[in-house]
Amino acid sequence: MIELVDVTRRYQKGSITTDVLKGVSFRVAAGEYVAIMGASGTGKSTLMNILGALDQPTSGHYRLDGQDIAGMDDDALSALRNRKIGFVFQQFHLLERTSAVTNVLLPLIYRDEEMPDAEARSIRALEAVGLGDRKHYSPGELSGGQQQRVAIARALITDPALLLADEPTGNLDARSGADVLALFGKLNDGGRTIVLVTHDRAVAEHARRIIVLADGRVVADHPVERRRDAAEAVAAAAAGTQGDAATPP
Amino acid sequence: MANRTGRVLHEAWAALLRNKSRAFLMMLGITLGIASLTAVICIGQGTRDRIMGVIATHGLDMLMVRAGAEKQIFAPTADRAIASLNEADASAIEAEIGNVVAVSPVQNQRGLETIFQDKSIAVRVFGVSDAWDEIRRRSVGRGEFVSQDDMAHASKVAVLGYRSAQTLFGGGDPIGQTIRVGNEPFTVKGVFSEVGASAGTEDFDDRVVLPFTTTSRRLFKRKYLEQIVLQVEDVSRMKETADAVRVLLRERHQIRAGDQDDFFVREPKDVKETALGTSSTLTRLLTAISAIAMLIGGVVIMNIMLVSVGQRMHEIGLRRALGARRRDIAGQFLLEALSVAAIGGLLGVALGAAVAAILAVKGVATSRLTWVPFAIAVGSCAVVALLFGLYPARKAARVDPVVALRGKQA
Repeated sequence: MIELVDVTRRYQKGSITTDVLKGVSFRVAAGEYVAIMGASGTGKSTLMNILGALDQPTSGHYRLDGQDIAGMDDDALSALRNRKIGFVFQQFHLLERTSAVTNVLLPLIYRDEEMPDAEARSIRALEAVGLGDRKHYSPGELSGGQQQRVAIARALITDPALLLADEPTGNLDARSGADVLALFGKLNDGGRTIVLVTHDRAVAEHARRIIVLADGRVVADHPVERRRDAAEAVAAAAAGTQGDAATPP
Repeated sequence: MANRTGRVLHEAWAALLRNKSRAFLMMLGITLGIASLTAVICIGQGTRDRIMGVIATHGLDMLMVRAGAEKQIFAPTADRAIASLNEADASAIEAEIGNVVAVSPVQNQRGLETIFQDKSIAVRVFGVSDAWDEIRRRSVGRGEFVSQDDMAHASKVAVLGYRSAQTLFGGGDPIGQTIRVGNEPFTVKGVFSEVGASAGTEDFDDRVVLPFTTTSRRLFKRKYLEQIVLQVEDVSRMKETADAVRVLLRERHQIRAGDQDDFFVREPKDVKETALGTSSTLTRLLTAISAIAMLIGGVVIMNIMLVSVGQRMHEIGLRRALGARRRDIAGQFLLEALSVAAIGGLLGVALGAAVAAILAVKGVATSRLTWVPFAIAVGSCAVVALLFGLYPARKAARVDPVVALRGKQA
């Protein structure tokens, strides 16, 4: 599914060169749920950009679903992102003043074929994340947790090979974060391949495997021995806090 | 949501609707530019209409060439047999002088006896071509004027002046009746509308008009003419055209330099020249102002779009992450500019036409709305939007999604 072979990434700024990734190799099989961990400055974001085909390795190979992205031009990378990758961002990145349905079907705009079923697919994706009753709400009318679920529906609408989440709970309170992680667990149980990038061990331990990055190298790669149970986390969060701070009226 | 381009256009509209105040600011300059341009065009057209109306009613687009050198006041004392003009001169003018729409040779003879049954009058008889009624703006009230066919066959047909018809036929229908003119039988083909006494010094209602070929070959039996009348296309070039006619005729008549003309070209009063001249100066000024307004409108569009690209980094990054190619992004921004300019342009046409109409109602100016401002609006708005939208659109397309997505959410 995913194969990185000795991936490096070098940035050049004037006369200063910085090697952010210094030879990263690992594989992720279909159906895996992997957390990539690391403190800031370890090359985590750069790795995530390469995994998301937003950036290219300086050397090495990255194969996604059988395709080597090295040497692809911008259009090909765009098409690859559209077909193979579902992004979930820390900041949700939803279009303001735009209904959930319209936000979710955004990836289908950038396809060459006709999309007569775009709206129906969008509604199905929203139902899959438990927001079937909020499909005409705009982001401003939804809580943070709900907004992130809209973003997850948007990532899922193309049925991507890889769901790539960058600190998906970073902007959420404990309860909503737990909700989102529970949803990821459920999606992975259904066979979805997920790569989650986080600095937070508690979040990473919801995955089945953890890859730890330090100074541009993989320093640890092991299965999670005692996975955190999302349902438990939800219950704990509910007990410990007043709940979702941004519940809509 | 048909194809990709259609969906990108839809995204452009959705983006404009998401930020209506931005869209409004973008279209403001364009709207005002097109509005002033439209008002100028409407008023210009109205002024032109008025002048053309004056020209049409008074025949101010006509040049008259008379035989003989002296500047006669009006109606040449006919039958003095100044044989300086001939039919070939008329043909040469038609063939060689530019800006000439129609030419007619004119022959006439006074006091020809015209008889119908027991009634008889002595009238002035004219021989003219089929273009003459257009040139002199004489309308035939009943029946028809002399046709090309009549000219070709030197037909014995006659068109009567209003009073001549009254005198000969009383209340009866003259069309198709046979009259005798100078002892030759003619079939009445038409009757002119009444002109009345006010129009000039010639009594137009008392006359008989025949095909020129008929008068020259069958009735007057002579080749020389009293007049050639011609209609010019562009009245602002009347003077040039008159000069060209003079040069041609001098050459044809082999008049040496320094010798007097044996003909006289009469030009209409050049009131309309000044009228058209001043209005076109004003038009040029206002057109320049409109062009500047459009330019400012374009710069406004560009600036707002540049700001917008900065504000919409997250949106651009997101779209790129979701699979938008660079040209999808550029296309969206360009379509936003084009759509705004198109709507702004149409609003401008409406606003400008309204202003012109109000001025017309107030009596300040005359105005007429034609398709011209629409065409100019569509054309110039498209050009402005493309010209000033291209740079911001390219800038948006070149945004690095990695950088765009990283920044803090606004």
